[in-house]
Amino acid sequence: MSKPMTVIIWIGGIALLLAVGIDTVAVIGRHVGFPLTGSIELMQPVILISGALALVVATIEQSHARVRLLVDKLSAGWRDVADRFSDALTLLFFLALLVGSVWLAADLWNGYEQSEWLGVPWWTLRLIANLCLLSASAVLLWRIFGKRP
Amino acid sequence: MIELATPGTGLIGILILLALLLAGGRIGAVLGLVGLGGLVVTLGAEAAFIKSGVIVIDTLTRYELGTLPLFLFMAHIFFSVDASRDLFDAAAKLVGHRRGGLAYASIAGCAGFGTINGSSLATTATVGLVAYPEMRRRGYDDRLSTGTIAVGGTLGQMIPPSGALIVFGIIAETSIGSLFTAAIIPGITQALFYALVVFILVRWKPELAPAGERAPWRERFRSLGRIWEIALLISFVIGGIALGWISPAEAAAIGAAGALLIATMRRKLTREALVHAFRETLRTSGLIYLIIIGALIFSVFVGVTGLTDAAGDLVQSLGLGRFWTLVLVALLLLILGSVLDGLALMLLTTPILLPIVEATGLSAIWFGIFITRAMEIGFVHPPLGMNLYIIQGVAKDVSIDRIFRGVLPFLASDFVHLILLILFPAIVLWLPAVLGT
Repeated sequence: MSKPMTVIIWIGGIALLLAVGIDTVAVIGRHVGFPLTGSIELMQPVILISGALALVVATIEQSHARVRLLVDKLSAGWRDVADRFSDALTLLFFLALLVGSVWLAADLWNGYEQSEWLGVPWWTLRLIANLCLLSASAVLLWRIFGKRP
Repeated sequence: MIELATPGTGLIGILILLALLLAGGRIGAVLGLVGLGGLVVTLGAEAAFIKSGVIVIDTLTRYELGTLPLFLFMAHIFFSVDASRDLFDAAAKLVGHRRGGLAYASIAGCAGFGTINGSSLATTATVGLVAYPEMRRRGYDDRLSTGTIAVGGTLGQMIPPSGALIVFGIIAETSIGSLFTAAIIPGITQALFYALVVFILVRWKPELAPAGERAPWRERFRSLGRIWEIALLISFVIGGIALGWISPAEAAAIGAAGALLIATMRRKLTREALVHAFRETLRTSGLIYLIIIGALIFSVFVGVTGLTDAAGDLVQSLGLGRFWTLVLVALLLLILGSVLDGLALMLLTTPILLPIVEATGLSAIWFGIFITRAMEIGFVHPPLGMNLYIIQGVAKDVSIDRIFRGVLPFLASDFVHLILLILFPAIVLWLPAVLGT
């Protein structure tokens, strides 16, 4: 596993462990009379980090689901074309999501959005999501124009 | 100015979607691009892009959707403690000596493994690795052994926690807890149907599955002793959701915490196992997140075009009545399911078919179980039939043709089960109603 991938896996994994910990403590706390105030607001950033990094990991590992019924019947050359076409469509979608998300972030910039109980600033969450969308796009761009084995 | 937000635009969108899917486009990306393109045409670029931006952030921060990676994490931790081997072993020790006993044990092992993992493919692969060599050693017919594991694997999709039901809950904006509770009886009856098929087959042709030696009670208790903590944790997780003590998201966190504890107690929680579980969880959840984001954008587009209302009006104008309307829906799902992957089938058809089903008086909960059942059939049905290929990966010397012939009697029971769900919706709706979830 490459070093950047190891870092991504560990950050995403730690976010998963935090999500497990927060909700478990929240449930136990609620049943013993010490509810964890704002637990859902704590969960939102960690599931955003794990989810956004998950998009990057699935893109790097080429795990996004495809219907291969016809593609598998093509010759090697045409299959390569189909693979690049599929990557190009995925890149287009990630870029469209990035445009939409950045547009929204810019529109709401002066709104100083934050969560209700803990004041988690939403611009940071949008930034993390946008960076991950950008990373996934970069991976796809590299794959489309890079040399294939 | 030409009005573009019409059912015709929606239909063109679906045709483009099917063409791009068959051309090998990634399901999530294609759903999202067609949806976004359609929204640009019908609502304009600004509204379309802003809506997509809202959907991506909402999906990634959605607390209920956090259920999915945590259940996946729980399953991957359980993989590291060899839970599938223990579950099959316990079932094999209890019933393996009977004629066809290992086939029953495979179904029980798949059902048990389905409670700790929500995927048909993973259930087939992991139980297959353990059960197939044992059945082969005992002289079981290869069609019966591979067929049983391939269909047994589909139980992973139905028995809670189910990845498909979580995704359906998000798309149809329906309670995931109610879906999990509603899936319990259909999951159990499905397993019983498979057991009945094995019973009939081995009575009819005893040479298919010879009887074996009875394990002493000491060994049986020992094998049960290896699964008691898994059984306790899963009972708490599923029972807690069904009884309304905990939400599905909380249950997923507790399940994952319990799995980590069990792996630690068994001294199996190594650094490698943890990194492997992180990686697999992220990889699988990334795949599902992209599909959900794409499907949500696509369903907004379908809604804007009024295609769902038009389809509903068309079906009502046929005056088929509830039973035949639902049979028509089932046929459509089975036909599409033979060319589309399960999740694509669910996400493409739910926005259109759910209103039609609701117009017959049935709820989204019922449809969630029904469509999951139809998806499962697609897993064991050529030409896609992913479970057939998975089990062939384990039983390399058995041809796909023989595996499919082994699946056929079970497929017949699947169709009967599907019809029963239509005739008696209470199979799905009774338990959530009684438990008030």
